[in-house]
Amino acid sequence: MSTINTTRKSNPYGKVGQVINELDDRLGLAKGGRTLLDKVFPDHWSFMLGEIALYSFVVLLVTGIFLTLFYVPSSTLVVYHGAYLPLVGQKISQAYASSVDLSFAVRGGLLMRQMHHWACDIFVGGILVHMARVFFTGAFRKPREGNWTIGTTLLVLSIAEGFLGYSLPDDLVSGTGIRIAYSIIESVPVVGTYIAFFLFGGNFPGTVVLGRFFIIHVLLIPLVLLGLVGAHLFMLVQQKHTQFPGKGRTEKNVVGTPMYPVFMAKTTGFLFIVGGAIALLGAFAQINPIWQFGFYEPARISYAVQPDFYMGFLDGILRIWPAWQFNAFGHTIPLEVTLPTVVFPTILFALVYAWPTIERKYTGDNELHNLLDRPSFRPKRTAVGVTMFVFLATIFVGSSTDVIANFFKVSLNTVLVEMRVLTFVLPALAYPITLKICKEMQGFSGAGKRKTTNIVTRTEEGEYVATPAPVYVDDAHEELDALPVPTFVVEEDETMVSTGVRRAER
Amino acid sequence: MSEHEQRTPVSLKGLPADDPHLQPLARRPHMVEQVITGLFIFGLLFTLLFAVAFVQNWAPWTLGATLGTGMSLFGIGIIAWGKYLMPRGPFVEERHDLASSDEEREAFTAAIVERGGGVIKRRKFLAGLLGTGVGAFSIVSLFPWVRSLGPMPKGTLFHTDWGKGSYLVDISGRRINVSDLTIGSLVTVFPEGMEHTDNGQAVDQTVLIRVTNQDFTTRKGRETWAPQGYVAYSKLCTHLGCPVGLYEQELELLVCPCHQSMFNVTNGAMPTFGPAPRPLPQLPLMVDSNGFLQSQSDFHEPVGPGFWERS
Amino acid sequence: MKLRHTPLLLIATALVAGPLLLFADAAGAGTSSSPAITYQTSRINAGTPNSTNVTKDPKTGAITSYGDSAITYTVPSPALNALGQSLYLQNCASCHGTEANGVPADGTQGAYPNLQGLGAATIDFWIASGRMPAADPRSVQAERRVPRLTDQQAVAISAWVNSLAPSYPAIPSVNVKDGNYSNGQALFALNCAACHTIEGAGDALAFDTYAPSLRHIPGYQIVEAIRSGPGNMPRFTGNLSDAQVRDIVKYVTSYVQHPQNPGGLGLGGLGPVAEGFVALLIGVGLLALAGYWVGERE
Repeated sequence: MSTINTTRKSNPYGKVGQVINELDDRLGLAKGGRTLLDKVFPDHWSFMLGEIALYSFVVLLVTGIFLTLFYVPSSTLVVYHGAYLPLVGQKISQAYASSVDLSFAVRGGLLMRQMHHWACDIFVGGILVHMARVFFTGAFRKPREGNWTIGTTLLVLSIAEGFLGYSLPDDLVSGTGIRIAYSIIESVPVVGTYIAFFLFGGNFPGTVVLGRFFIIHVLLIPLVLLGLVGAHLFMLVQQKHTQFPGKGRTEKNVVGTPMYPVFMAKTTGFLFIVGGAIALLGAFAQINPIWQFGFYEPARISYAVQPDFYMGFLDGILRIWPAWQFNAFGHTIPLEVTLPTVVFPTILFALVYAWPTIERKYTGDNELHNLLDRPSFRPKRTAVGVTMFVFLATIFVGSSTDVIANFFKVSLNTVLVEMRVLTFVLPALAYPITLKICKEMQGFSGAGKRKTTNIVTRTEEGEYVATPAPVYVDDAHEELDALPVPTFVVEEDETMVSTGVRRAER
Repeated sequence: MSEHEQRTPVSLKGLPADDPHLQPLARRPHMVEQVITGLFIFGLLFTLLFAVAFVQNWAPWTLGATLGTGMSLFGIGIIAWGKYLMPRGPFVEERHDLASSDEEREAFTAAIVERGGGVIKRRKFLAGLLGTGVGAFSIVSLFPWVRSLGPMPKGTLFHTDWGKGSYLVDISGRRINVSDLTIGSLVTVFPEGMEHTDNGQAVDQTVLIRVTNQDFTTRKGRETWAPQGYVAYSKLCTHLGCPVGLYEQELELLVCPCHQSMFNVTNGAMPTFGPAPRPLPQLPLMVDSNGFLQSQSDFHEPVGPGFWERS
Repeated sequence: MKLRHTPLLLIATALVAGPLLLFADAAGAGTSSSPAITYQTSRINAGTPNSTNVTKDPKTGAITSYGDSAITYTVPSPALNALGQSLYLQNCASCHGTEANGVPADGTQGAYPNLQGLGAATIDFWIASGRMPAADPRSVQAERRVPRLTDQQAVAISAWVNSLAPSYPAIPSVNVKDGNYSNGQALFALNCAACHTIEGAGDALAFDTYAPSLRHIPGYQIVEAIRSGPGNMPRFTGNLSDAQVRDIVKYVTSYVQHPQNPGGLGLGGLGPVAEGFVALLIGVGLLALAGYWVGERE
């Protein structure tokens, strides 16, 4: 039917059919819509990790909007008159005052603040585990390099967003972090002081930085994040999800559950679980108690101050870096700052961004890949990933040298020197150990698979013999051959099917 | 099934209702259904309890506990429904070639190259000018974004408010007298009048420590800087600007709380451990006729972390 | 540690031992034979007696107490001297010498701190907080423990030691009734948090020293510590008035020692370190487990 026909056959599905007809007249959604409903998602558990990040992002948006209705991004000083006595009468900024009021005077405010902060930590943590899964299974290979780039950008932006976010309340701990950030910007050769003065409107602390952080945190980065997450998901839908090799799974198909209704149910349920977990954390685990820290004044400082965990690797490498500097020809380059916090992260993320290209050049593999690798089958890639993780984890642990020294009752200086040593030793050990483990796992069959029970019998001579037990029908379900998604179900009789699949009316 | 195919021209797939792919995964679907019913009912109850907790203004933790439990129960129920009661599958979808055919690619590339190329080939000069203009515009349009944001770096990067004769005051504005502190005492000081200003706190902040009872020399050339054992150093750590407020009087060590740089107060705050490479600048002090401490001049070098123009 | 780490270990040892050698005599072994440090400030109501705030014994004219409504410092009565001396000889003389001058029986000068001229509050603080008698005299910093001597015994010992070379501060008792929480919080953040952390949890300092936790310390011992500057802690004399110290005590004994924690579990007051652990292990960990339930194994 190529002509525009005003009299169309009525849809045999009653009211729902009428609505679909009206929408399709205007949008033509029936064709694409059915493809979307029939989309198949492979449902290995490790594919849910990205959803942890996605749904905690949703929680961030919802709770964040609530917070913006109360928070005042201003450095103007006001006298506090509220519920928390140790602050009453002190001159504090409106930003800090509004954050404390959110915690004490707004009903549900403390829950929203804590949910927002926990969701941020889980968001970045979710991105990291998801990224690890993608890396170790090789899902970044052609055609998905674009998604890898988008994902890495999402990681960088989410770290920056988190830093900006927890700096907004202007409390003692986060204010110290802003001071450190200012000094890092200042340390960049040639242009550092200019960028710092421009960004802060002058020397530290100035009066504009909170307002600027606010708008970047609330508007600019979320817009980019939303766009990138949208692009990330769009590419995922367009290219279809990858899957592990297995029964009936080839490079040319996807085996799993259909979008509608099964996957939608699972993913909606997961959204509720992520939201529920964050709410429970927000209820029972206090996070960022800004009232206890007090207001930020530049002459005040607390000991045992670390940034949130996703910035921890920078704090750690700052602590362990030796006291180098370049001082000649009338200029200073504070290498002890520029190298660990400007040069090192640039190299690190450049490596991450470039990894698909690096691997392609190294393996010479330009093929399309829709099937994933088992990590143990790619020992070198897995070993590189583990080494990088161990290195980052070591310098992350280096950010709590004082806590370690206090807990284990060891000299602080000894702990620091130990950390310097471990930063080289542990990754150097991690690489060959991982390589060996992978090669061994490749060696014996059944590695990583579910174990089957054995029946042990004793012969008359006293020898023990183990034979695999028969798999009972009630045991692990045997997977069927995959079928295309059905459009409707053919009934033998007129009764409703108990599975919940809607019976088609004829 | 063929009846349906005759009625509609689109190929529709049908499955018999007893196909194993459509059966629930659960061995006892009715029991699972009851469990999910329980989960939903309790989820609803907790959600309503959240409303009660909110209206009645119960303790903050109850809000999150009820909301979180309600959401989690709903989530578990929905997932259980999807996993155990809905068709177990598995189902398959064919991947169509992402790539277009060779002809389509050639046509697309031709459209870009030949159509656009044709236009540009004839007007190369115009195209060059346009390119230059766009390039210049994109650079120039950044100017307000960069330059208008703040002033040029100067001033307080290099000088503080300490000068000749500035009185040392504590945070409450009280002048420090030589009879105030004993050996091993420490106080944070500011130039008089600056203690509650941004600059005073951020740039001028100074630690005053009494190391001994007599005039003290930290380094050669600084013989007059520490009268009666009072030494004063900039409180801004030369590593990243944190206030170095942590003083260990027996070790005579100033330790920066942020990254544990350690400065020896008896020899001009030279760094002895940790990442800071430069010593804390020392403030030259003098005593007026009433015993109140003053600074002889500003610091002899810029305070705070290192930067390019620091020299 | 493997053999190939020897060069690094040597560098590490040099880095650690070098500065340590510079301060070896200061780090725990007490100050050398310098004269005892006397309290100093002419400021009124800052821990020393002044013409306006003293109470004197009518018979002997000796100062019995001084201070104001915020903090009253009481010089322990000379009647306790005999008891104090005998307790001292039993518990302290083996290290600090029979003359309380830090010269033990073998005559080693400066082996242990000279206790003369430090003021009664100093002696009382070390004993009442359980740090003395020292469990391990060779450790760099004595730990707070359950005190082996009672409070009265501590006062008696301080009475006798103080009588050898009378000095200040005397033993304080603090009345926080008129104290101001905000002043206390502001002063605490500026002066105390740099070592003890803003939550009062304490933490490791340079080499083997540490700032102890403030969670279980009674108010008068806070005053004693502030005024006497035990160990590596600075002495806060003329720069903090008694009213300011009282405000600090009021803040510490309430909001620092009994934080409200309306947001739930305090997670030890360790800040983002603990929070990161909880977020990753419990948050992401449990959610990953949930994902493990939702998805398939193969």
